[in-house]
This record gives sequence, C-alpha cells and structure tokens, in this order.
Amino acid sequence: MKKLALGLALSLAVTTSAWAHFQLLYTPESALERGEIIQLRHVFTHPFDDEHTMDMGRQHDSDELSPVEAFYVIHRGNKTDLRDTLKKISWQGNANAGAAYQSEYGARRMGDHVLVLKPAPYFEANEDTYIQQITKLIVNVAGMPTDWNANLGLKAEIVPLSKPYALWTGSTFSGVVMSQGKPVPFAELEIEYLNHDIDIAKNAMGKRRVEAPQDSFVTLSLITDANGTFTFGLPKSGWWGFAAVGVGPDEEYRGKELSQDAVIWVQVRDMK
Amino acid sequence: MHKILGPLLFIALLAFSTHAFAHTALMSCFDEGDDTITCEGGFSDGSSAAGIEFLVKQNDEVILKTRLNEFSEVNFEKPEGDYQAVFNAGEGHVVTVDGKNIF
Repeated sequence: MKKLALGLALSLAVTTSAWAHFQLLYTPESALERGEIIQLRHVFTHPFDDEHTMDMGRQHDSDELSPVEAFYVIHRGNKTDLRDTLKKISWQGNANAGAAYQSEYGARRMGDHVLVLKPAPYFEANEDTYIQQITKLIVNVAGMPTDWNANLGLKAEIVPLSKPYALWTGSTFSGVVMSQGKPVPFAELEIEYLNHDIDIAKNAMGKRRVEAPQDSFVTLSLITDANGTFTFGLPKSGWWGFAAVGVGPDEEYRGKELSQDAVIWVQVRDMK
Repeated sequence: MHKILGPLLFIALLAFSTHAFAHTALMSCFDEGDDTITCEGGFSDGSSAAGIEFLVKQNDEVILKTRLNEFSEVNFEKPEGDYQAVFNAGEGHVVTVDGKNIF
C-alpha cells in the first residue's frame, strides 16, 4: 500500500514537472499605433499554471547563472544587438521568484520589429537535461508590414504565416517550424495561454484568468504536417505561446542532453 | 546617363505605388529631437510609398509640399505652433497626423 501511495505521489510529481516550460518575452502591446519605447520582460516560466518560475541561465554544476547568449532586433532586414539593454531582475511568480531580465526598446520606426532572445541553456534538474528556447516576439508600428514573416535561419525558429500581432479572437494562427532555415516535418508543438495578468511595474505575475478542466488543457499539443506547417485556432484574447520542442541541431550542452526549442508569442484581440 | 535614369526611376516608383492604392495608406511621424520631424509612409500590404506627395499644413495653408524619398520617408524642420503632416496618396488614401501627436 505504501509502495502504491509512493508510486502515485511520484507519478503526480513527474506529471507536474512535465508541464511545459516557456521562455516568455513579454510586452504589453504588440501592435503600436505609433513608435514608442516599449517595456520588455524576459521570464522562464509556465505560462498557464505559473506553478514555478525558473532561474534563467541555471547550470548543473554552478550557482552562477549563465548570461543571455543573444538578444537582438531585426527591422527592415537590419540587425541591432540589444544585449546591453538587459537588466537582471527577480520575477515574482505566484509560487516563487526566479531570476529574469527586463529591458526597454525604442520601437520608433514604422514597420515590424522582430525581437529574438537566445537565452543560455537552462538546466532542468528533474529531467537531468538542458533546455534552450530561442524566442521570437514581433512588434509592429503603425500597421506597416515589413519583417514579420522573415525566415531568419535560426537554429530553431517558428516562422509565422499569419501576422502574430493582428489576430482576432476566434481566428487562427499559422506558422512553419524551422531548423536552420528549413521546415521540420511532424515537429511537436506545445501551446500555452499566458493565463495570468502581468504586473510590469512590480515584475510579477498577477491574477489567474481561466481554469483548465483537465491537465491536457494546460499545455495543448499539435504536430506539424509533412511541410512543417501548423494552424491553431485562438479561442481567447491575450498572449499565446507556441514552442516547437527539440527542433534545433544542438543536442548536447556541457555533457548533458539539450533540447533546443523554438518559441513564438502571438497576441490575440477581441472584436469589440 | 544619370540624367535619364533619375526620372525613369521616379516614374517606376510612382507606377509601383499605384499598385498599392487598393490597400490602406499608412503614415507614422516622430520628433528627431533636433527640431526636425521625420514621417514615414507606406501601405498595409508593405508597398513602398516612394514618390507619394507629402504636405505640411498650418492654418489650412500648405507650408511644405514635397514627395517621400526612396525610403518612403521625409524629414522637415519642425514648424512653430500647430501644424499637420499630410500623406496624400490620392482620394481615399490621405493620412493626416496632427503635430500635437508627434513625439
């Protein structure tokens, strides 16, 4: 009986730890009427349940957190390094606080600003593996489309086929999962809703929005087709994260298994 | 040779802009912080606005009449007082930005 109880407890623990990690790259508004300086938050979290905030850059054999490998923006095809704009913060989740970053970016010029974050691989002790999520966020100024569907040739990337900042509730988002610029057939996608208000002034997660009827609804799953493309219906306004798991070419980091993932965030609006 | 190429290029740009008339006209302006204003124009399908007419009006009078350059933008000296920047791509495709909303 004790063994059964222990087995059940272990099984629950494993189930919990298996919920999807998502590198959040957040800004309040992705479709700007005119150019402005935008606030960004970089948090490694579980967007739906917020049951644990990870320390970005955690390593298996050191208390020192590794810095972000790359953070830049592409605008009209030009790349600008933004690593100097990153400031370390402690992000307060509903369960715990984790090491994260904040930054500001002057999205002044008209068009798309494709922000790319490549954090250092994070050591996930529960799985004895590293996770690196190369994350894209696209901000548009004044409605002029310029770079939103560019294939940047990243090691792991989701290239949108729908503008990620112009999505109505009830519409769909389509994309192509890429590895080094080439589509990945039958790639596994994890999808989560950012299910908490974000308090950017306090660097904290706020109130929860919806409850999942069952665990399958926390992290939704999708497999890309033979061409690496996918389409997902968007049932609720807010931010949705898409993660293509293990599609990057790097499979090992510091002697341990590495999952090199592609993440993209899209913002959905209600028709009012 | 350059004398011929210049007008030809401009005509080509105008022809290309015509294609965009089925789409929404867009303009965004910002203060450069050096007493000049930059306005960028475009169309919702991503088409270039090079060669499109651009006006600055003050008290209903046109104080500047020019065209957007090859990068679909224009830079001009910030007028004193109230003014309006006008992107004029033809009927139904006019965008006006009030100077009060340019930061």
